[in-house]
Amino acid sequence: MGALRLVIVALLAAGIAAALTGWVLNQRQISARRAYSYYPSPYSPIAPLGGVAGATPAPTAAETPNPLANDPAAVAEGHKLFMSMNCAGCHGYDAKGGMGPNLTDTYWRYGGTPERIYESILNGRPKGMPAWGLALPPQHIWQLVAFIQSLGGTVSSGMAQAAAEGNLPDKGQNKGASDQQ
Amino acid sequence: MRCLVVAVCVLGGSISAAAQQTPASSARTSYTLATASFAGAGKPGEWTSQARDYANTRYSPLEQINATNVASLRLAWSFSDGTQYGHEGGPLVVDDTMYLVTPFPNIAFALDLTKPSPSVKWSFQPNPSPIAIGKACCDAVLRGWAFDDGKLIYNLLDAETVAVDVKTGKQVWRTRMDDPGRGVTMTMSAFTVDGKVFVGNSGGEMGINGWLAALDVTTGKELWRAHAVGPDSDVRLGPDFKPFYPQLEGKDLGVSSWPANMWRTGAGSSWGFISYDPDLKLIYYGTSNPGPRVPAQRPGDNLWTSTMFARDPDTGMAKWAYQFTPHDEWDYDGINEAVLLDMPINGKMRKTLVHFDRNTYAYTLDRTNGEVLVAKNFAYQNWSSGFDMKTGRPIVDPASEPKPGITLDRVCPPDLGQKDWEPPAFSPHTGLLYVGVFNICMKLTDHEVSYIAGTPYDGMEMTRFSVDGKDGDWGAFIAWNPATGTKVWSLPEKFMVMSGAIATAGDIVFYGTTDGWFRAVDAWTGKVLWSQKLGSGVIGQPVTYLGPDGRQYVAVAAGVGGAALVQKSRDGFPPRGNTLYVFSVNGDTIAAQDVPQASTAAAPAAVTPQ
Ligand code: HEC
Repeated sequence: MGALRLVIVALLAAGIAAALTGWVLNQRQISARRAYSYYPSPYSPIAPLGGVAGATPAPTAAETPNPLANDPAAVAEGHKLFMSMNCAGCHGYDAKGGMGPNLTDTYWRYGGTPERIYESILNGRPKGMPAWGLALPPQHIWQLVAFIQSLGGTVSSGMAQAAAEGNLPDKGQNKGASDQQ
Repeated sequence: MRCLVVAVCVLGGSISAAAQQTPASSARTSYTLATASFAGAGKPGEWTSQARDYANTRYSPLEQINATNVASLRLAWSFSDGTQYGHEGGPLVVDDTMYLVTPFPNIAFALDLTKPSPSVKWSFQPNPSPIAIGKACCDAVLRGWAFDDGKLIYNLLDAETVAVDVKTGKQVWRTRMDDPGRGVTMTMSAFTVDGKVFVGNSGGEMGINGWLAALDVTTGKELWRAHAVGPDSDVRLGPDFKPFYPQLEGKDLGVSSWPANMWRTGAGSSWGFISYDPDLKLIYYGTSNPGPRVPAQRPGDNLWTSTMFARDPDTGMAKWAYQFTPHDEWDYDGINEAVLLDMPINGKMRKTLVHFDRNTYAYTLDRTNGEVLVAKNFAYQNWSSGFDMKTGRPIVDPASEPKPGITLDRVCPPDLGQKDWEPPAFSPHTGLLYVGVFNICMKLTDHEVSYIAGTPYDGMEMTRFSVDGKDGDWGAFIAWNPATGTKVWSLPEKFMVMSGAIATAGDIVFYGTTDGWFRAVDAWTGKVLWSQKLGSGVIGQPVTYLGPDGRQYVAVAAGVGGAALVQKSRDGFPPRGNTLYVFSVNGDTIAAQDVPQASTAAAPAAVTPQ
């Protein structure tokens, strides 16, 4: 298995995360396993081991809008996380796609409402999107959602049904036809 | 009917006039007098491994198709495999059966060539895990497959190697090689020799730990694994290791040329082609860029990344190594293939290895010891101001060195190099190599990155553009003299040329373009003799073979994807979709017996026109 011997150091309960935020989607405490590589700082960040999709159960509250959606500070924090969590490495620094799909257009594989995007980040998706529920507290995930919402392609919760049926009012902006993965 | 000589092999009479002429080229003399061993090539009419022979020449002795008739190439038949990711492999032809494996989900097909419009003998679905799709940096591709010991052997994107019985289409063995969850995928073509299968990993952008492994052909059991980074025991360096350059000598350089522990995520994957010299008993292959791609985070030479290894295939122990790009700062993987040629250089016959590196130097090395004999640029670059033949090191221009947070407006080439993995061809007639190249640069901003398992350990923010500005070409196809390090001719192409090339005894060279042209070119002059637009871009590898009917065919898969996708917003970039196209002179092929006949019903009464 190669010489990549990561040492899993600590388990921390992300109940902390729940405590930070009054509006946690999932009331159940998500236990976040944190893994450390044994490199000296700054080379020792958290590792969501391998990113197995579906590592945490889907959240239940299907219609929760992003509590941070219009908060510019949250968008800025989300952008920082997008860089520091290596989302940019897969989705592109401009979020227009790469190894992962474009997050700026109106085409969504798994739904473009805030709660579907939250779910994509929390649980991962089968074709290689890591599950971040073990590594990031809900607040950070909502910040990421806020950042993605700021990119302009997302769908409001009320439009979920229309979006799922491909019946969004077409503004000729659906660049997602180029999504060929 | 198997016929190799054009003049006696006139099919259907339609090319008789043309076939009278001998190709003008046969009288000319080689530019270099270079030769290759062609060992491992199978029968003249077959194509039994990706590179056709151990030396990686991609040269076929067939000459039915030549300058006199190549313009009459027409479609004989085609085959759609139903997949969408980039199709980078070339079909193999063994004993009148063609073997084809798709990109993810890596379905294998055996096509019976004795039937008109070949039918599927069997297909095999290995069902690799879809998690690998999002871990593959450059599309869910597969660069080829191997045929040996009655088995079709290939890598699955989710880091397994599988062997399929060619008679039954049933799995014989399947070996898990690594964990895709951590970002390891496998995209290279398996290579087999002497009862062993050689495979390596991909994931140089994901902070993986690179390796090449040998498996037993019969059982799939792992025999040895050599890493590109880490202590000598991991890298398999022992008393027999004798590099040519002194900076490559010393204990555990794969550890000490890195900041503490950084080698563990230092990449050095191997995902290109392997070649083999049966006399020296050495295999040759290159390793990828170091991780992370941000050089400021890993001071040092970062051995043994961007390096060529010569190893004993039985033990995996290295005989020599040579690092093309010490402390790579621009993602210049060293994985490109080694073509093994013997040629006089400065009047002395040398056993050489020719390698077009992503860093834009074309190297002619002594393959017995790793000495640089020739190092010349085959395309435009601006990261290196020269080459130090004493140390074997390129001289870096400090103006092109990235620093985190600072944008460099124009570094050439970009991460993809001026040549990526697409393999060249060699013709023993001309003594030249033929290769698809690029003409591109990047705007580059490095960002410091953290290692998070299974995510990119990358940090390069880039936009790529033509060397020649907004409307400039992105590619070219060139003929190269490896003895002098000079370009003989060059064909400009609007898009990066990412298909493999083949050369034939008919003095024709074939290649494809990312905008879907498949071309036949005069090997001596570079004159385009035939072009056919295919259904998608060509990033696969052409092959040529004799059918059971004695006709010479040329086959290539269209199906754009892979790194060519960096051009997808340019006008004229084709849609995806994989189809194999097979051409012959006039499109002649085995006639179909079972064409439906219109049945005449009771004739209606004739109607007299008014
Ligand atoms: C290893 C590469 C990788 C990393 C790292 C990654 N993603 Fe993804 N992401 C993907 C892939 C691949 C998909 C598509 C998965 C599928 O179709 O099953 C995806 C899907 C998504 C989706 C759903 C898109 C849709 O069309 O429905 C969102 C939202 C998303 N990612 C956000 C993020 C965020 C935020 C991060 C960082 C916290 C991140 N991703 C990190 C590869 C990655």
